[in-house]
Amino acid sequence: MSVRSQANTIMRAIRVQLTGGPEVMESADVPVPQPKPAEALVKVSVAGVNAIDGYFRDGRFRTPLPFIPGQEGAGVVTAVGAQAKTVKVGDRVAWSGVLGSYADFVVSPEEHLVPVPETLTDQQAAAAMVHGLTAHYLVNDAHKLKAGETALVHAAAGGVGLLLVQMARAVGARVIGTASSEEKARLAREAGADEVIVFTKHDFEAEVKRLTDGKGVEVVYDGVGKATFEKNLNVMRLRGMLVLYGMSSGPVLPVDPAKLSEKGSLYMARTTLAHFTATRDELLARTRALFGMIAEGKLKLRIAKTYPLADAAQSHRDMEARKIAGKLLLIP
Amino acid sequence: MEVVEMAVPQPKANEAVVKLAASGVNFVDVYFREGRYKAAVLPFVLGQEGAGVITDVGAEAKSVKVGDRVAWTGVQGAYAEYAAVPADRLVPIPQAVSDQQAAAAMLQGMTAHYVSHDTYQLKQGETALVHAAAGGVGLLLVQMAHNIGARVIATVSTEEKAKLARAAGAHEVILYTHSDFEAETKRLTDGKGVNVVYDSVGKTTFEKGLNVLRPRGMMVLFGGSSGAVPPFDPVLLLQKGSLYLTRPTLVNYIATREELVARSGAVFSMIATGKLKLRIEHTYPLAEVQRAHRDLEGRKTTGKLLMMP
Repeated sequence: MSVRSQANTIMRAIRVQLTGGPEVMESADVPVPQPKPAEALVKVSVAGVNAIDGYFRDGRFRTPLPFIPGQEGAGVVTAVGAQAKTVKVGDRVAWSGVLGSYADFVVSPEEHLVPVPETLTDQQAAAAMVHGLTAHYLVNDAHKLKAGETALVHAAAGGVGLLLVQMARAVGARVIGTASSEEKARLAREAGADEVIVFTKHDFEAEVKRLTDGKGVEVVYDGVGKATFEKNLNVMRLRGMLVLYGMSSGPVLPVDPAKLSEKGSLYMARTTLAHFTATRDELLARTRALFGMIAEGKLKLRIAKTYPLADAAQSHRDMEARKIAGKLLLIP
Repeated sequence: MEVVEMAVPQPKANEAVVKLAASGVNFVDVYFREGRYKAAVLPFVLGQEGAGVITDVGAEAKSVKVGDRVAWTGVQGAYAEYAAVPADRLVPIPQAVSDQQAAAAMLQGMTAHYVSHDTYQLKQGETALVHAAAGGVGLLLVQMAHNIGARVIATVSTEEKAKLARAAGAHEVILYTHSDFEAETKRLTDGKGVNVVYDSVGKTTFEKGLNVLRPRGMMVLFGGSSGAVPPFDPVLLLQKGSLYLTRPTLVNYIATREELVARSGAVFSMIATGKLKLRIEHTYPLAEVQRAHRDLEGRKTTGKLLMMP
């Protein structure tokens, strides 16, 4: 085999052979994957780093070993399967929910690929897919937030949080955010939060009650889980909605449904992005709306740091240390 | 439960005294009688629902006057000839609605109304699964869902109850004693599932109910006739399709005077126009209260039981 053809069939990727800490992610030469009939091969220009990548890496979420982590990215289509109809070679595309994105190339079912408009960079598109689409479905669908409502947004300076705050403000809601430090509180305020509670200094339950004259909020958006659950039930007004979309502090313990009744006929949902982009139509519509907001400057992404692909382990250490506010990206 | 003679209650400043024409018999009365729910003081007069005429008003009771025909729910003391009730809990009964109808509709009618119009706002073309569809709330809920234009899949325990559910407007009825409601509901929806499950049964139906919801569907758990649902892992809601759960109670859906009046008015209007048919199964004199409770707890009844003081 010639050197040239070998260069085309071998790529650099991050590989996990055994689950564990960030150190289990190793840089490796692996074959370039081949697209199946309804798939496309994409040259990855940017891959997003997400909490879910950590869950796959440490084994909390299971997938056959070895595997290439990463669910999100942007790049250019370089080959298509025989039956692929919606994409062609040369298209700029972005995706989420496609395992294997920490690599030079990834294959994706064509229906997961969305077009990236000229007005967006690859980095913006990659940074927006998981966090942006999540913030979008939370504000527009999981609980359709309305002008005049008050929302409590936990981890308001986090990846989803900063976008959620902006979108909530854009619909005219009042936003109370929580953050762990003054520095993060400042970022949440810049994103538009009306009030920010530094929960390491103040009890968020007491503060939310004070800030709402004892009435509580219409909706709580919670990606934190275990640590915030019980108090959340105490800060919602009658018939309020708790949307659980993550569990950065660990999974919520079993819930007695009677509590929802006792605390005022409350609702709870446990949601995930896949169910809010389940059809091609919904994925495209949601992505278009999101990319439109970015292009018009209504939604500001905060890309905190980019890493060469080989430094994936460091990106996970930084993500899990929770010190960097904003999106982390890998550049293959 | 014993019948006694006692002084007619005097209204406090914000109360009115009502001469009762009819009192509703409800499971909540059984729970208070048994002590599962604790009354504020013993002895006490049972009964949470009634209709009648105002005979006396307190100094600050502005929304009502002597002679008004009124109904209420959620205030203890309706198993009596007279009851003192906070004036802001009394709603006017329109002429076209009888005292018996008003008393029969307050708790179950407003419950059916809030679960189908507010807790989950059912829409035309959606599919709802209604458990215990021939029960007190069930028969009213099926009619309201049908009137909205939703497709109703009902579960019942006997052929006779199936007939009642069908007559109320259920499109499909599952005899859960003969066939598995999970499998049947999936079959009837081509595997898609339903938009909403209305469940007042609780323990025995909860988990399977989650399995028949379509993604982003809602479980409305509004009772527990088979026992309370034990604590559950919320990740189930994720795994079964980003589902919603709520555990509502009527009191939170008639919390303001405006909402109480609007909701009771909407239910009375459905009755007056014939869109909602009540099934008043039996009336008892006050002295037969024990029999009324035995009949209710025997679960052989399929309609409303009323006492006529």
